[in-house]
Amino acid sequence: MISPLPIEAPVPPSTAIVARTSRGYWREAGGRLRRNRIGIVSGGVLLFFVVVALAAPLLAALITHTDYRSIDLINTFARPLTPSHILGTDELGRDELTRLLFGAQVSMGIGFLAVVVALTIGACVGLVAGFYGGLIDGLLMRFVDMILATPAIFLFILMSILFKPNTITLSLIIASVGWGSIARLVRGEVLSVRTRDFMVAARAFGASDARLIFRHLLPNVLHVMIVFGSLYLGQVVLIEAALDFLGLGISPPTPSWGNMLTNSETYFFHSSWLVIWPGVTIFLTVLAANLFGNAVRDAFDPRLR
Amino acid sequence: MPDIAAAPALHRAWTATDPLVSVRGLKKWFPVSSGVLQRTIAHVHAVDGVDLDIKKGETLGLVGESGCGKSTLGRTLIRLLDANEGVISYRGEDITRSHGESLRRLRRKMTMIFQDPYASLDPRHTVGDIVGEPLDIHRLFQGRERTERIGELLNLVGLNARHVDRYPHEFSGGQRQRIGIARALAVDPEFIVCDEPISSLDVSIQAQIINLLEALQARLDLTYLFIAHDLSVVKHISNRVAVMYLGKVMEVAPANELYRRPRHPYTGSLLAAVPIPDPAIELTRERVILQGDVASPVDPPSGCRFRTRCPRAREHCAEAVPPLEALGADHKAACFYPLD
Amino acid sequence: MPAPLLEVRDLKTQFFTPEGVVKAVDGVSFELHAGETLGIVGESGCGKSVTALSIMRLIPRPGRIVGGSVLFEGRDLVGLSAAEMQEVRGESIAMIFQDPMTSLNPVFRVGWQVGEPLVIHQAKDNASAGVEATRMLAKVGIPNPQQRARDFPHHFSGGMRQRAMIAMGLTTTPAVLIADEPTTALDVTIQAQILDLLRHVNREFGMATILITHNLGVVAGMCERVMVMYAGRIVESGPTADVFAHPKHPYTWSLLRSIPRLDADRREPLKPIEGSPPDLIDPPAGCSFHPRCAFRVDRCSHDDPRLQPVGDTQQAACWVTQAGTELPRA
Repeated sequence: MISPLPIEAPVPPSTAIVARTSRGYWREAGGRLRRNRIGIVSGGVLLFFVVVALAAPLLAALITHTDYRSIDLINTFARPLTPSHILGTDELGRDELTRLLFGAQVSMGIGFLAVVVALTIGACVGLVAGFYGGLIDGLLMRFVDMILATPAIFLFILMSILFKPNTITLSLIIASVGWGSIARLVRGEVLSVRTRDFMVAARAFGASDARLIFRHLLPNVLHVMIVFGSLYLGQVVLIEAALDFLGLGISPPTPSWGNMLTNSETYFFHSSWLVIWPGVTIFLTVLAANLFGNAVRDAFDPRLR
Repeated sequence: MPDIAAAPALHRAWTATDPLVSVRGLKKWFPVSSGVLQRTIAHVHAVDGVDLDIKKGETLGLVGESGCGKSTLGRTLIRLLDANEGVISYRGEDITRSHGESLRRLRRKMTMIFQDPYASLDPRHTVGDIVGEPLDIHRLFQGRERTERIGELLNLVGLNARHVDRYPHEFSGGQRQRIGIARALAVDPEFIVCDEPISSLDVSIQAQIINLLEALQARLDLTYLFIAHDLSVVKHISNRVAVMYLGKVMEVAPANELYRRPRHPYTGSLLAAVPIPDPAIELTRERVILQGDVASPVDPPSGCRFRTRCPRAREHCAEAVPPLEALGADHKAACFYPLD
Repeated sequence: MPAPLLEVRDLKTQFFTPEGVVKAVDGVSFELHAGETLGIVGESGCGKSVTALSIMRLIPRPGRIVGGSVLFEGRDLVGLSAAEMQEVRGESIAMIFQDPMTSLNPVFRVGWQVGEPLVIHQAKDNASAGVEATRMLAKVGIPNPQQRARDFPHHFSGGMRQRAMIAMGLTTTPAVLIADEPTTALDVTIQAQILDLLRHVNREFGMATILITHNLGVVAGMCERVMVMYAGRIVESGPTADVFAHPKHPYTWSLLRSIPRLDADRREPLKPIEGSPPDLIDPPAGCSFHPRCAFRVDRCSHDDPRLQPVGDTQQAACWVTQAGTELPRA
């Protein structure tokens, strides 16, 4: 039985001012991010590509009126600024801009999916390993070590042989190698958060392991995951491009920035724009992801400034 | 082996005159590992054979310097750590190895207030979440009743109930400590371990929190184990005081008595070392400066642990461990050659 | 009256943070004479540490000294170049810090670190600096100094590290020693040892000492004169015995009444100071203590009092006591 509390406070109340601005941790970090101009610009660039990727069919219908598969053998290698082909056409007369738009869908789609999958698996492993320690931690981390030590390229080759790569399977293949880093990062952060007094306090009040992990640890390691996610996005785009180059990735006719770059390699000298457009989009995306990731890290940890 | 005859009320029903919390022969040690293979090479004897009784409604002060084991004792008492040896009793019931449901029920009766108001509140949770968490864990109160209860708790410790959606970093140190106190009171406990609750606070705020703790004790019939290193504060708030050194209790006595007439040389040196804010007294005081540092709890001295720094130590002190003996009404000390 | 060794005039140090400008030190003036011990007492945020760091020109960004002067041996330290200030630091003015666990570099041997000021300032070679360092370690009461000089800091306990820090400060026999909360992180019996050492060092070397602390008991036992700081200003100063016996500022008065004393009867209730320390970005108008003051009058909420003589030997920044009102005895 819980006794009712006495009505009046037994001592005079504390009249200290509550802080000037009532902002949560996230809003303060958001504020710091907003003041970081490089962060804003790079975030804007990323957002632009995301929007383009999502709206690719719509944009294609509005701007270019073609499909990424429509072959036009009369108009192959059209130069940029040709009427009806703003960015030119490729070796089969397909409109470059349309292919770039749909390529965005593929490359960004793979990027985000791989990030989400890697974060989910990695965070779970890191949380469990860091929280329990001991044998569980040892086993999980040795497994992670194995993953990280294996040259990714072999795993990619193996998995590309076993599973035919489409957007989804390729994301999973890439994520299956990348989750190791985030698992290590999360585990490290968990080790430092786990000994803090509020964790001990929650245990003292009878919190279960699940509550400790998901209601206390997870919110306190989220910032690490967000920073990793931003940086990893750039890495995934590059990995995807590299896999396309090796023939292990998305196969034509489905365009991805990577395979567009690969296919146009042989035409570099007379139709260099075919290499430049996908090269530029990849470069901008990866650069924006890296700059944004750094800005997010600075936003969460002002001591680094 | 704990002395069964001395353990209270294990063989008859507990009554209100028996101690609320009791320990006999409590030992807690931590392994020290080293080397590539992380093998255990030694143990830190943080708590090395402690007998204590805490009566219902009283405040037992627990003092000692770093490494004496007072914090470990507090955490072992409320089962945050598992004792290696000994018996812990609560209301006459042996709780040393409780687990599962009976441990959960225990956590409603024994709670804790922590030292660092900046680290003991989850920075990602609102004040309402923090104070309400014990209620959620024990599934007491839902919905509107829960909100009301949280509001009442905040008012009780002198905070504004309207701040329930704010985050800890928006409050001052003293206010955060009040939040921690409200959290400890949420489930209507009987016994609270206060682990250095004011050491991290400014001097002018410490008095506010001490007054709050005393007022709450009177209103809610609480029993406190008050762990601290500030002897002046402990004297003020405690009914009885226990002095620890290197894992053992050196002396236990009522507060006024301990400070007026300490019997153990360590207590005497400790009291002589505390600065008093009065220049007239400070400049004329007799200074008893202890030599050397606190010995290591990994390899404590044989016999009486304090003998390496004790100005009164003799041969016998190295040979045998002095037992905690009664030297007067309710005054015990562990020394072969106590002070007069 | 000989000229003061160190004279601080209207020192102002501010921190430029995204939330606003923190006026950490807001017009502090005082003198330090050769050989005397001066205590600076106050709670966290009052500016006592920042004052010391300002004298040493060790203020980290985003802070800056924005006004005032620090006159030492005829020179204004605020205006010195970085190179000139580096010569002063460690050689003429030494500082020891609160946390002995982090003030020593963990990768160098203790003896080498203790001798380092000699190598820097007096161009001694490592060997003779080492000999001097060992001598200093013995003087501060470290047993087996030759052996201990070859140890690394992690072999030392907190008390011993603090002794080593004091030894480091003494090697160049500076004129001034600033000790910033030197015993706060130490156990009370070790604190007594270190304070005893500081007293001994002050007598034997004749160094002027500035002792910064929040512990009124420590000040009572160590310092001839004391300054009480609140919200970046000095609110009271004077001989320690006088300030404790009859404080002339309500903050000092309330503080003395609110701390539990070892020699008091435990049944006396504590009399806390209500409210909380002020916001240094947006301090209260008028006297910064007035919202918490039991003696405030109308004038206090819009007029900012300056430090003025009150009584024979003391100074206080309070309208009420400057007007002649006596604060009640404890």
